[in-house]
Amino acid sequence: MKASEALEAIENYVVESKILDERRAIAVTDLARYRDALFALKNKDVRHVSTITGIDAGEDIAVIYHLHCGGSLLNLKVMVPKKDPRLRTVTDIFPGAALYEREVMEMLGVTFEGHPDPSRIFLPDDWKEGHPLRKGWKK
Amino acid sequence: MTEALSFLLAYLIFPGLLFTGAVSLLFVGIDRKIAAHMQNRIGPPIWQEFFDVGKLFGKEDITPSSAQTTVFTLAPLLAFGAIVAVMLLLPVNSAQPALVLVADLIAIIYLLNIPAICVMLGGYSSACPFGASGASRYVVQLFGYELAFIIAALAVAVKVDSLSLSDFVSYQAQNGWLVLDWRLLPALIASLIAIQGKLLRVPFDIPEAEVEIVHGPLTEYSGPKLALMRIAYDIEILAVAGFITALFLGGPTPFNIGGVQIPGIVSFLIKCLAIVLFTTTLRCIAARLRIDQAVRFFWTFAVILAVMSLLLVI
Amino acid sequence: MTFVVPIGPQHPALLEPEHFRFEVRGEEIIDVKIRLGYMHRGIERGLMDRTYYQGLYLAERICGICSHAHNLCFSQTVERLAGVEIPDRARYIRTIVAELERIHSHLLWAGVAAHEIGFITLFMLFWRDREHVQDLLEMISGNRCYYSMCAIGGTRRDMRPEHLPKIDRGLKVLEKATKHYVSVATSDRTILARCENIGVLTKQDARNFCAVGPHARASGVDVDMRRDDPYAAYAEIPFGVVTQSEGDVFARVVVRLREVLEAIGIIRHALDKMPTGPIRTRVRAKIPPNEATSRVEAPRGELLHFGISNGTEKPERWRVRPPTYANIPSLVPMFVGGTIAEIPIVLASIDPCMCCTDRVTIVDVTTGKSRILTMEELRRMAR
Repeated sequence: MKASEALEAIENYVVESKILDERRAIAVTDLARYRDALFALKNKDVRHVSTITGIDAGEDIAVIYHLHCGGSLLNLKVMVPKKDPRLRTVTDIFPGAALYEREVMEMLGVTFEGHPDPSRIFLPDDWKEGHPLRKGWKK
Repeated sequence: MTEALSFLLAYLIFPGLLFTGAVSLLFVGIDRKIAAHMQNRIGPPIWQEFFDVGKLFGKEDITPSSAQTTVFTLAPLLAFGAIVAVMLLLPVNSAQPALVLVADLIAIIYLLNIPAICVMLGGYSSACPFGASGASRYVVQLFGYELAFIIAALAVAVKVDSLSLSDFVSYQAQNGWLVLDWRLLPALIASLIAIQGKLLRVPFDIPEAEVEIVHGPLTEYSGPKLALMRIAYDIEILAVAGFITALFLGGPTPFNIGGVQIPGIVSFLIKCLAIVLFTTTLRCIAARLRIDQAVRFFWTFAVILAVMSLLLVI
Repeated sequence: MTFVVPIGPQHPALLEPEHFRFEVRGEEIIDVKIRLGYMHRGIERGLMDRTYYQGLYLAERICGICSHAHNLCFSQTVERLAGVEIPDRARYIRTIVAELERIHSHLLWAGVAAHEIGFITLFMLFWRDREHVQDLLEMISGNRCYYSMCAIGGTRRDMRPEHLPKIDRGLKVLEKATKHYVSVATSDRTILARCENIGVLTKQDARNFCAVGPHARASGVDVDMRRDDPYAAYAEIPFGVVTQSEGDVFARVVVRLREVLEAIGIIRHALDKMPTGPIRTRVRAKIPPNEATSRVEAPRGELLHFGISNGTEKPERWRVRPPTYANIPSLVPMFVGGTIAEIPIVLASIDPCMCCTDRVTIVDVTTGKSRILTMEELRRMAR
C-alpha cells in the first residue's frame, strides 16, 4: 500500500493529513474518530501496529499510532488533554498493541480504558515517583 | 580381627575409597578432555576434576532454611557409601571381588540404585521448585532405563546360569568374552543405552538439564555436600563401567606381553576406560531429549533389544 | 493442582535477566506472566538529553548484537530530519556491514539455541564459525562489537581494496559451513525431536500480535523491511525473503540459517556493484523542526526509530521500538500448552534481546538512588 492509499482509506476520519514521501504519511485525528480511522485501516488488511508513542506536548499529550500499511508507515496522532488523559484502548482492534499502551500508561500517565492488563511493564511495581516522560519530570 | 582390618583396608584403600576415588576422578578428567577435542576446543587438563572437587570441599555449606535438614544431609552420605560398596563387590583385580556374597548381581543392581534414590531424596527435600522438578524427572527416567538394564543383566545371568559376578568372569575366562556371542550383542547395546540414562549423560541428562532447571535435584547443594555428591556420581561412572566389563567384556583378565605378566587390574581399567569413552562419544553427538521422548525410547528400543537377548539365551 | 515455576531473573536459560512466572500442572504449562524491566537503562530520556552526535553512540549501545542496526536506524532518522541524501558508496558500505551483522547475529543465535537443547557440540561449532564473521567485521570497522560504522551523513570508515579478497575468502568459508549446518539441522534425529512442532505460532496469531522478523516469517508472514520499505542500498540489490509456513521452532531455525546464505549473496552483490566516491556529507548540528521515522530490518526484525527535531542540536523526542519488544506478546500462545522442557528453546527461538526491549527511561542525577543511573554510570556502561 502506498502512503497515498493509506490516507485515502481514513480521509473521512482525520482533521488534517500530509504525505511526506512515497512511503510516509502523517495524519491528525480527534478522540471522537480515531477508532473509526483504525477500523477503516483494519478493513484494508492493516494488522500491524509498529508502536505507539506518547509525547508530552505542553497542554496535551500526543498519542501517535505508527501503523505498518504494506510498505508504508502511517503516523496517526490523537491529542489527549493533560487534564483528563483518558482514551479507549485499541487492543480489541489490534491485540498486538497491548504492551505499547502499557508503556504509554506508565511513562506518561495516560489511561487506556478497557485495557486487559494495565500493570507496570518497565518500571518497578512500587514506583510512586510520577511519570518519567512528562516534560517537567524531576524527582 | 584381621578380617575386620582387611575389610577396612579394602573399603578405604583398595579397591575402595582411595583407589576408586582417584581412578574415577581421573577417568572423568579424561572424558572432559576428549569431549573438548571432539568439540573443537582444548578443554581442561585431565586433573581438573580433582581441582574442582577439592575446591568444593573448601566452600561454604549452605542448607536452605525450609529444607528438611536430616534427609538433605544424609542423602549425599548414603549415596557415597553405597557406591563405594559397589566397588567392593565388583571383580577388580581377579575373578574374586573384595567382598564375596552369594548372589551379588542382585546386590549390585540394588546398590547401584541407591545413589539415584539419594539424589531424588535430596532434590525433594531441598524445598526448591527446580529440585522437585528434577527429582520427579529422575523418578520417571529411572523407570525407563532400569528395566532395560535389569533385563540385559538377566540375559547374561541366564547364559552363565549363575547370579554371581565371579562366575561371570570365570566363565568368560574359559569361553571367551560374552560380547563375542552374537546372542548377547543386543543385550550389550541395550545396557550401553541404559547406562547413558543411568549416568545422566546427554541425550538423557534430563533430570539435571541446566538450561531448564538450573541443576535439577542438586540445585540447592553447595560446598562439601555437593563435593560428595559429585564424587559419588564420578565413582558411579567407574562402577557402572566396571559392571558392564564384568558382564560382557570378560572382567579383569591378567595377560602377558612379551613375558611380562600384567595384572588383571590393568585390563579392567582399560576396558572401563573404553566404555567411558563410548559414553563420551554418545554425549557429544546428540542433543538432549524430553523426558517423555526418553522414556519412550527406553521402553521401545532398549527394552526390545534386551528382551531379544533374553529370549535367545533361554 | 498448579505449581508455579519461576524462570528468571537469573537463570541459566536466559542470557539477559527477565522474569517469567509459569503456572504448570506436572510438566504442562497452563499460563505465563511476563515481567520485563530488568535491563531498563534510561535510553529514551538519555537520547533527549544529548545532541544528535552524542545520541548516535548511545543509540548504538542499546544492544550489542544489533548495534549496527540501531546505529543505522538512528543516523537514517537524523538524515531524514535534516533532509540530507548520503553518498552512494556510504549506502553500500552500510548495507554490507548490516548483512555481516545479520550473519553474526544468526550464528550466535544458532549456537545459543543448540545450547538450549543440550547439544553442546553444535554450540561450540557454531561459535567457532562465528569467529570468521567477527574477523571480517574487525577488519572493516576496527571492532568486534559496536562497530560505529555509521556517522550522521555517511559512514565513518571506508572499505579498502585489500579488504576485498579477505571478505571473499571469509564468505566462502561461511557459506560452506552454513550449508553443512542446514543439512545437519534438517536431518539430526535429536534436533528434530526437540524442535519440530514445538512452540507453534500460527500465521493468524503472528499477525494479530504484530510479530516481526524471522520469527514472523517462520509463521508464514511475508514481511521484510529490506524489501517493503527499502533503505540503504537494498532497493538496488536483488535478494530473496525467506519464509516457512509451519511456525514451529524448527521453522525458525531453518529461516535464520537460510537468511545467512541470502546475506552472503547480498554482500557479494554489494561488493560487486559498489560505487566509488565520497563516504560522508556534512550535516549541520542544528536540525530544523521536523519529524521522521526510519525502519530497518535488524537481525531480529523490524526496528523503528521515530524522531522529532525542534531546531536545536538535541532532539525533542526520540522513540525506539526494537524488534524483540514486538515479539514478546506472541510468546504467550507459544508457551501455553507446551511443557517445561520446551521453555528454553521456545524462548530462544524468538531470539530475545532484552537489552533492546528494556531501553525505556528513568534517569535522574540528583537522587543518588542505587537503581537510577547517573550520566557517569551510563557512560561507563557504554564503554
